[in-house]
Amino acid sequence: MTVPPRFLDRRVFVVVGKGGVGKSTVAALLALALAARGKRVLLAQMEPGRRLPELFGLDGELQGPSEALPGVSLMTIEGEASLSEYLGIVLPVKRVHKLVVTSKLYHHFVAAAPGLRELMTVGKIWYEEQRMDGERPCWDAIVVDAPATGHSLQYLRMPQAAATAFGPGLVRREALRVMELLRDETRTVVCPVTTAEEMPVNETLEMYAQLQGELAMPLGVLFVNRVHVAPVAADAVCAPPAKAPALVGDVLRCAREEAGWASINARYLARLHETIEIPTVELPFLFAEEFGLAEVRTLLGTALPGLGEA
Amino acid sequence: MSTIEALVRDHRVVVCVGSGGVGKTTTAASIALWGAMQGRRVVVLTIDPARRLADSLGVGVLGDEPRTVEPAVFTRLGMKVPGSLAAMMLDQKGAWDRLVARHAPSEEVRARILDNRFYRSLSGTFAGSYEYMAIEQLCLLDESGGYDLIVLDTPPTKRAMDFFEAPERIREFLDRRVVRWFVTPYMSQGWSAAKAMNRTVGFLFRRLEEATGVSALAEISDFFSAMSGMFDAFAARTQTMHALLRASSTAFLLVTGPEEQALTETEFFSRRLREMKMSLDAVVFNRVHREFAADPELFPGGTVSRGDEALIEDVLASAGDLDGIDTAWLARNFVDYQLLARGEALRMEQFRSGLSRRLPFVTVPNFESDLHDVAGLVGMHSALFGRGAARRPRRSGSSRPPAKRASSASSGGRRPAK
Repeated sequence: MTVPPRFLDRRVFVVVGKGGVGKSTVAALLALALAARGKRVLLAQMEPGRRLPELFGLDGELQGPSEALPGVSLMTIEGEASLSEYLGIVLPVKRVHKLVVTSKLYHHFVAAAPGLRELMTVGKIWYEEQRMDGERPCWDAIVVDAPATGHSLQYLRMPQAAATAFGPGLVRREALRVMELLRDETRTVVCPVTTAEEMPVNETLEMYAQLQGELAMPLGVLFVNRVHVAPVAADAVCAPPAKAPALVGDVLRCAREEAGWASINARYLARLHETIEIPTVELPFLFAEEFGLAEVRTLLGTALPGLGEA
Repeated sequence: MSTIEALVRDHRVVVCVGSGGVGKTTTAASIALWGAMQGRRVVVLTIDPARRLADSLGVGVLGDEPRTVEPAVFTRLGMKVPGSLAAMMLDQKGAWDRLVARHAPSEEVRARILDNRFYRSLSGTFAGSYEYMAIEQLCLLDESGGYDLIVLDTPPTKRAMDFFEAPERIREFLDRRVVRWFVTPYMSQGWSAAKAMNRTVGFLFRRLEEATGVSALAEISDFFSAMSGMFDAFAARTQTMHALLRASSTAFLLVTGPEEQALTETEFFSRRLREMKMSLDAVVFNRVHREFAADPELFPGGTVSRGDEALIEDVLASAGDLDGIDTAWLARNFVDYQLLARGEALRMEQFRSGLSRRLPFVTVPNFESDLHDVAGLVGMHSALFGRGAARRPRRSGSSRPPAKRASSASSGGRRPAK
């Protein structure tokens, strides 16, 4: 299975996966890869979280796009703020806009109108993709760090649902435009992330089926994170010889632990390969006291050949 | 080393919370099994389809009804389980349909909601319904009187607080006063009446309609007018839920991992929990790597560090036959694990410094396999409950924990702040 040609030429990369598998790491990795090609990258998280800002050494809540590194800007996309911004375009008179968004009714409307916030969140990605800075687009690429699987699929399903639910009008028109972007394989690519373990793999296989089926979204590369590799099987690691110092026993214990995880990973990688028809990039488990941007760069180095960018 | 033995013994409801991918489901199942081994009637309510776990318990596919594990499963494994263990899983799909079915005041209202075009295309995207279902199920199990230990595994959402806010949110969502704003203009009184009643409301409605699509509000309005009939039932239930989550017989167990990612989220989470008056009762760290004491004669610095590989290789070479395993790999792997363990220990200590010292704090080692069978669950017991805890015979007398039941708002006192 080869990487889609010119994988990194896409404009929107949506990184999805189960909670805790390393979506933020992969999103950061893609942003670095794109920035290294001279692109202006927007790295957007769809839920307020602190992992990405922390990785890039930014403190506190993210407001608008803030440049974290040359070429990489970070922002949080939030439904309510996006709706307010959107209404600012539709209701250009400042006073009217303010009256609307500060009213109690509006807040109940936003809280209550089902799906509106989700639609606005996805809509904001479209808006950023379209946004121009003079003659050229504001961003050459947008990497989206999506929330955990179930939530992500809700967001991605939203434009279709809104287009069906709402009568002809602005909302439907907007929803259709967003849908067009999400399904356009020349512009958008979805990258699932998983670890090679039971639960994440189960969830990945289910998500994969939905992305391919109902959602009809273009899939790019599956990232398998934290892969352990060992030259021996766990049960082939011998007991320490008699009278060996304690250190030898400790060393063999760690070897058994690593070999155990390596065999679990190998088993679930095989399961993934049985079903998943998109290219897979394996990212090794990194042993480090702390996981920071340097570790993301190391992972990027190992991933590039798999991305066809060696 | 603290354990969570007292915590599980003294509470009827144990809620496992924490970010995704940290082993919440496994921890919940292990606690439930321990309770059953102590002679209690236990049910574990999970949200993750841990198929291998369900298979190994012989309960097949978990569903919306509690399934009791056959005692034969334990007998086959040579285990003594004087209590009972049941498990159930909440299905995310169709959570709203089930809510509507359960709370609609009449068949007609039910049909009207389920047929609403707006509802049909959007109910899959409504937030909070699934979380609400889980907490409602918890209340039902509590009220059934069939169990004296209920272990709840919460969804792995990044914003795990959604889980506890869901009842309130749904209640607000269906609040009469709000619904009236949406319903009134289209129902009995019409637009002009709404305008006369409140010019601003009328104005805002028109603006919002322009912005969102002409028919949208009419659809929403119809949807809300149908849903509003369900408000009373919801309001009553959310009160029960609110009380149960804050009752003194309910314990919150934070499950996390030693990685930066998990800890960053966990800190945020425990703060939010406090703000909502649901304080933590214990912390479990899963998959913690072990740092071995470094022989001071070999490692004068007191720790194993990068650069010590050659030294370790020498020790291995002189130790005797190691079945031909590559000693360079063995040495490198050992240093890797020690570095990892040290980073984890530092982060855990830092995390702990922000919490009360009295809070039980348990570390579960990283096992050499993933834990998805009964033996694996038992393997966690010594870490969770102390060595030998699982084998200790239970005290004579009632297996019911001392804590009082709190299934109504009046008997469910506020938790004392810790």
